[in-house]
Amino acid sequence: MRRVLVPATLVTLIIVAIQLSIFTSLRFAGVVVMLVWLWPLAMGLAGLTALALWCALVAGVFFDTHSTTPFGMTVVVGLLLAYGASRLGREGVGDLDSAAWWVTPLLAAAAGFFAPLLFVGASFFTLNFSLWRDSLLSAMVVNAIAFFVLARPVARLALWVGNLGGSRR
Amino acid sequence: MATDRSRRRTWTLGVAVLFTIVVLYLTTGVSSGLRGGANVVVTPFSWAVNAIARPIGHLLAGTVNYSDVVAQNQKLRYQLGRAEENANAAWAYTRQLQQLTTQLSVPFVGSLPTVVAQITTLSPTNFAATVGISKGRDSGVLVGMPVVANGGLVGRVIATTANGATIGLITDTSSSVGVTFKNGKTSLIVSGRGLNNGLGATSVPLGTSIAPGTKLLTDGLNGGLYPAGLPVASVKTVILTPGAATYNLTLEPSADLRHLSYLDVVLWEPPA
Repeated sequence: MRRVLVPATLVTLIIVAIQLSIFTSLRFAGVVVMLVWLWPLAMGLAGLTALALWCALVAGVFFDTHSTTPFGMTVVVGLLLAYGASRLGREGVGDLDSAAWWVTPLLAAAAGFFAPLLFVGASFFTLNFSLWRDSLLSAMVVNAIAFFVLARPVARLALWVGNLGGSRR
Repeated sequence: MATDRSRRRTWTLGVAVLFTIVVLYLTTGVSSGLRGGANVVVTPFSWAVNAIARPIGHLLAGTVNYSDVVAQNQKLRYQLGRAEENANAAWAYTRQLQQLTTQLSVPFVGSLPTVVAQITTLSPTNFAATVGISKGRDSGVLVGMPVVANGGLVGRVIATTANGATIGLITDTSSSVGVTFKNGKTSLIVSGRGLNNGLGATSVPLGTSIAPGTKLLTDGLNGGLYPAGLPVASVKTVILTPGAATYNLTLEPSADLRHLSYLDVVLWEPPA
């Protein structure tokens, strides 16, 4: 775990940089694809529980410092996705090597669909009741599609990073 | 021995991180400190990603949209010619406007100083309509100042650093602007509906005479967040619900918020 922590953190920072530099401008129907959520999700599906939670924390904290939404909400959603995915990943569901090719993308699409909803739900705890008025449905649909498309390459990257530590789980 | 060295290294790293956090905290405050620290860490990665991705992106975009680029160039040349023609006449109008403004005691329209800033970042999230600009506290930009561009009100400054600021756009879901129209006797509250959804106003009394195309300006009421007379939006549709005592409006922002590149920060602070 310790050996893989440094490369995982570095890759996470690159993912945050890609999110902020490219995905912020590259909008589909005005919606930003949240790579910072897909990354810990892919880690989780690879069965790397601790690493997935770490990546969700790092990506969320760095992303939240650049955003004007209440601090910590991206972290919370990332952690929830990472934890949920790692429960499935530990059972081998969504594993790139053993499951059918469409399982990982489908799980990612479901996560991408519900992640913006979780974000808006989390905002209620910060007494922010206006976020649902924004393009919530568009954000859900676009993220679901994008997560479906990007799930396998990102999961492959997660597996590669995980294997740098020598062992999985 | 190796353990001692490793422990010393951990201590040094810990002290360095703590020192950085304390310095950032003391110099810029907690939230700005966090933002500054995060920027310091992420910037080299962003720079590397940009260095690789931008030329490829530009090449692809240029190839795919070449005909658009040519058409746009021709259109811009035409507009430049028109602008040059108008520029000669503009100074006379400006002078006349200044005279009228002084006579009417209007608190805005050219009398307030502004700072021109370039947009540097877009909102990274789907749930906040904000932009980052290139001018900050060092240029006199302070939290609460109104921002105008492209023909109308854009938003207000919600956070500043020494060399940058974040603008909350009027389309942000947390934004509310007091506006008035025509005779200036009726005031409405215009609310943001998200970056992609424009603006709206609800609970407009049935007796209010307003039609599509009506232009709404900031009301500048005492204690308001904006000076009077800034164009905010024009009425797009009037939504009447049978039996209701009020109606709703959908509005089109006066400023073209989708194509912002430069904007003016009005150096005006809301009265305390």
